[in-house]
Amino acid sequence: MEEQTRIASDSKTSRRDFLDLLLGATILGWLASIAYPVIRYLKPLPQSGTTGPTRLTREETAKLEQNKFVIVPVSGQRVIVLQSQDQKLLAFSAKCTHEGCTVSYLPGQSIIWCPCHDGRYDLNGRVLSGPPPQPLPEYAVQRQPDGGIVISEGRA
Amino acid sequence: MGWYYLGGITMFFFIVQVVTGVLLLMYFQPGEATAYESIRFLTTKVPFGWLIRSVHSWSAHLMIISLVLHMFSTMMLKAYRPPRELTWVSGYILFLLTLGFGFSGYLLPWNKLAFFATTVGTNIVRSVPLIGDWLLQVLRGGQDVTINTLYRFFAAHVVILPLAFVGVISLHLLFIQRQGMALPISAKVAPRGMKFFPSFALRDVLLWLACLMLLVTLAVFLPYGPGIPGMDWELGSKADAMAPAYAGIKPEWYFLWEYQLLKEFPPHFFGLEGPQVCLLLITVLLAIWAIIPWLDQRARRDKPSPAFSDFGWAAILFLTYLTLMGWDIGASGPGNDLALVHRSARVCASWTLVAGAVVIAIRYWRFEHRWFVLTGAALLQMALHGFVGVSYLLAGVISVVIAAIAITASYFMRSRADEKGGI
Repeated sequence: MEEQTRIASDSKTSRRDFLDLLLGATILGWLASIAYPVIRYLKPLPQSGTTGPTRLTREETAKLEQNKFVIVPVSGQRVIVLQSQDQKLLAFSAKCTHEGCTVSYLPGQSIIWCPCHDGRYDLNGRVLSGPPPQPLPEYAVQRQPDGGIVISEGRA
Repeated sequence: MGWYYLGGITMFFFIVQVVTGVLLLMYFQPGEATAYESIRFLTTKVPFGWLIRSVHSWSAHLMIISLVLHMFSTMMLKAYRPPRELTWVSGYILFLLTLGFGFSGYLLPWNKLAFFATTVGTNIVRSVPLIGDWLLQVLRGGQDVTINTLYRFFAAHVVILPLAFVGVISLHLLFIQRQGMALPISAKVAPRGMKFFPSFALRDVLLWLACLMLLVTLAVFLPYGPGIPGMDWELGSKADAMAPAYAGIKPEWYFLWEYQLLKEFPPHFFGLEGPQVCLLLITVLLAIWAIIPWLDQRARRDKPSPAFSDFGWAAILFLTYLTLMGWDIGASGPGNDLALVHRSARVCASWTLVAGAVVIAIRYWRFEHRWFVLTGAALLQMALHGFVGVSYLLAGVISVVIAAIAITASYFMRSRADEKGGI
């Protein structure tokens, strides 16, 4: 008799545990079904737009000649195209690898400079001084027979 | 005591923010071709538009000043002692929300300064482990700062943050109403209480009037701020993702310490990237600040806790030194960039050391404090960095190690003295 009562009590407890578990799982599922659409809604869609090599417009080429550098969009990324003192054309990601500010070119010192936290890169994109943790990724630059300048992803 | 009015002053500036914010909303048009233009129209064509924007900007800065003073005075007076721990925590959340207001509002004029400040500010979250990239995209509405970022910041600035702020401030006020003002530890007997209404409320209103006069005077005579970096709201030129950042770009003054700390970290640190370690350090410091009521065990027993007063002063000196360096104080004159950085560190260290010495002297003679280990460590770091030329981080490590040894030694000496006393 005592044994039967104990088993009944055990089974009662396990039923209660099971129902608790079911209730907990239902609440969690309910919360997840609310949270998931909101989380997906908040994450922006992948960037759309032109990809592949980019040809500098006439305005951008004029800017490059005047300032010795210009920043242009290439496949949705900011790219700095510069003309070194020996007239060589170079292109790097314009996003400083420290905190993402847009870099500029200082022709007098032949360095790429980020004014936000004073990061300095050489004309190979390597860090010279300051806090940037990575070098600037390089882009390929091609001068076409008609004088146009084309920038594409990947090293020169 | 004057310190008790700082919370009310902060709330006054928040009310001004709500009123002027609603007025600005009537002209502001978020959008690629309209955000900057609508602010320019507001400040140049709309009658008194410049004044509304000026009051909103000045009030934002004054709110942060009064909030910081309120927080540090609460800390120094140990008003966070039981049962007021949650008042401290809710105030701390209000402090974070206020920084969120400042940061999100900064982008709305869609000018060049706003663009880069937001680029740097949002990029910091990339260092959060596991969800960093997701968080960055959610904040920015894309990989980079675009007009989508402005839409999100606009929603946060005018809806999400105000709702959260009103909710938390209601709790904060409820706690204060239920528990009353905290008395200093030194007060053995509660002074004769003052009724909140009308006695305290009328004093509050009088002070609010004075604050309004100060605010309006500043807004009228300095409509674009005092002109110092980080406290300047000239519209400037429109944001252009294809324009380089310009020399001398600085965040708002209350983020300068963080900006400078980011600069002081090397590219790599113990296998992690500098910004990641910097974010970790800031998170740890902010977490410690949040749980002070539980860390300060002596104050919990209503005993004086000069070590935590010292901690507060060390935090003030730490922030002051970084802020002064962020402002490039002393970085002028002949010499190359490196020489200017060293000169700036020396000048900033001199100013902060003088301020630290004055604080220690006042605490020693006026308040009879005898515990200066943490302020000493903060000042040692500045001296090593500013005068000896040791890197900021190495100077910090040396100072922390020395402070840790001093604290451990004093603990053992006290234990031994207690044992002898017991015998």
